[in-house]
Amino acid sequence: MKALGAAFALSLASSAFAQGPQGVTLGAEIYARNCSACHGARMLDPQGAFDLRKFPRDQRERFVASVTKGKNQMPPWGDVLRPEEIEALWLYVTTGEPG
Amino acid sequence: MRILVAAAVLSGTTAVCAQSLDDLKNDGRNTDNILTYGMGYHQQRYSRLNQIDRKSVRRLVPVWSLSLDNNWGEQAQPIVYNGVMYVTNARHTVAIDVATGKQIWKHTLEWPPETPRVVCCGVSNKGAAIYNGRVYRTTLDAHVIALNAKDGKEVWKTKVAEWKDGVSLTLAPLIANGVLVIGNSGAEFGVRGFIDGIDPETGKRLWRRYTIPAPGEKGHETWPQGSNAWEVGGGSAWITGSYDPQLDLMYWGTGNPAPWASQSRPGDNLYTSSVLAMRPKTGEIVWHYQFTPNDAYDYDACWELINADLKIDGRDRKVLMQLNRNGFVYVLDRASGSLISARPYAKVNWANGVDPDTGRPLESDIAKSIRAGNPTEMWPSTRGGKNWMHASFNPQTGLLYAATLHEGRMYKHLETKPHVVGQRYMYIENLPLPRAAGEPIGHIDAINPLTGEKKWRVPLTDFQVWSATLSTAGGLVFTGKETGEFIALDAESGKQLWQFQTGSGINAMPVTYTHKGRQYVTVLSGIGGLYWNIAREQLQNVPQGGSVWTFALMPD
Repeated sequence: MKALGAAFALSLASSAFAQGPQGVTLGAEIYARNCSACHGARMLDPQGAFDLRKFPRDQRERFVASVTKGKNQMPPWGDVLRPEEIEALWLYVTTGEPG
Repeated sequence: MRILVAAAVLSGTTAVCAQSLDDLKNDGRNTDNILTYGMGYHQQRYSRLNQIDRKSVRRLVPVWSLSLDNNWGEQAQPIVYNGVMYVTNARHTVAIDVATGKQIWKHTLEWPPETPRVVCCGVSNKGAAIYNGRVYRTTLDAHVIALNAKDGKEVWKTKVAEWKDGVSLTLAPLIANGVLVIGNSGAEFGVRGFIDGIDPETGKRLWRRYTIPAPGEKGHETWPQGSNAWEVGGGSAWITGSYDPQLDLMYWGTGNPAPWASQSRPGDNLYTSSVLAMRPKTGEIVWHYQFTPNDAYDYDACWELINADLKIDGRDRKVLMQLNRNGFVYVLDRASGSLISARPYAKVNWANGVDPDTGRPLESDIAKSIRAGNPTEMWPSTRGGKNWMHASFNPQTGLLYAATLHEGRMYKHLETKPHVVGQRYMYIENLPLPRAAGEPIGHIDAINPLTGEKKWRVPLTDFQVWSATLSTAGGLVFTGKETGEFIALDAESGKQLWQFQTGSGINAMPVTYTHKGRQYVTVLSGIGGLYWNIAREQLQNVPQGGSVWTFALMPD
């Protein structure tokens, strides 16, 4: 993930990237690797975890804080995911599967 | 024991009433004590006690309960020695006076809040080991600790691995032939599984046996050559092995290979999804049997490998039995590892059977479809025909008693990507199937180990049972429900004879023992673990909170 993060940082340079289709793709990849085991494949089967399809779209800060510091049963991810990667995750959660 | 005590007093050591290897070997003969995981090295979870029987069980009442001050869930089996009970969870180790239920001491662990990230399936601990005046346990952040049984003071703490690499420890240690043996969790994070032998006196590692052979070692040829697949290949060993002291062989089940999607690791992938018969002094592998070669389904083989002596076709056989996650119940000769039988006990569609000559599963078209990367309805699901909730074996009936799962999923292998240390390494999609109304989602079963046939089954339509069973000579099977009921069933019929509502959900391992001639039954209550992760929303009215519950017969 460090390599991924570095590559991302190099190519990023502006927040436009995180908001574009590449950001969604990166978010989807991070999600598939780290989040899907609990929150369900493609957010479709959250079982006991938070149903991210229902995450309020106007609460980005809450999302970022929960991922960074952890919430309830979810451990913190702030030491593994860079802020840009968490932004990409937020983009994925709010816009869904990349086309 | 008297001699030991006398020697301890004479030498002025603190090892008063220390439990010897003979005590561990004979666990079950002295019903005042429970000294081993599985209530005997054989892990039968059977007691010859019969004060509480089919008739008297209606008088079973709680005699004490103690809070464990823990919301992470309770899965452990208590250890009982000389009137003191030792209980663990992910946070604490607690010593309790079995006569009164009063806490004697409590030892609390601290681990980084990030640690649960490398725990695939719920934060838990499955229990302690006891030997020579010390209580031993594993920690979530991959340490083993020794505590003084008398006061809970730490004697030593050994780092087994770096948790940030994806390794965690949740199992109860095994003390076999004087060696403390543990195995790791972490196959979902692409770690290379291992089993360690540790000196119980000092905490120093004596040997490490990786479950995946390195280049040049026998078995390595079953991994793709010229790649690092073997280094990130899984095969953890997250449940305590059983042990036959006569053969001096311990039996450790190994976990799934990593990643779950199998295309990047062609070959049998030894020794994943297997049983290893090992020498406790050296870690030497004497024989192995692989249940699921090139496992593409998360069918790991870690849980109870029950030792029993069965008469089969007129011959007395020393067998090893397992209700494997892959849906087949296996009976092996535990001296040689040869297959005696393998029959389905659950709905299975990934294989048409097990070849009796080669011992290999006969994979079906379903398996071919999965391996081709198609979304495929797979039975049993990755959670298995049964999960870790341990079966018991009643030698009087010859049956295995277990909570089983009846669940298929729409399963698909995804394209795999390079391993990243400390992060998930699975690459699958696993989605629910539509269910017919009223179709059971699991059962409590009485299973003939040689045929897979059920003498009876209790269908479960609301919640699965994720608790071990306990069998007794009183003709009873005890287990617990996620909704908090501790229940006793008739071992002959499956009829429920008794229940008591505890304060949280039960996903643990009941035990029975005597104190001053009276039979007690103890179980931990405290919802947690994988099933709570899965069904938390449906179980929202079952509160968290760990506690110990102890029951005895109300006097006439």
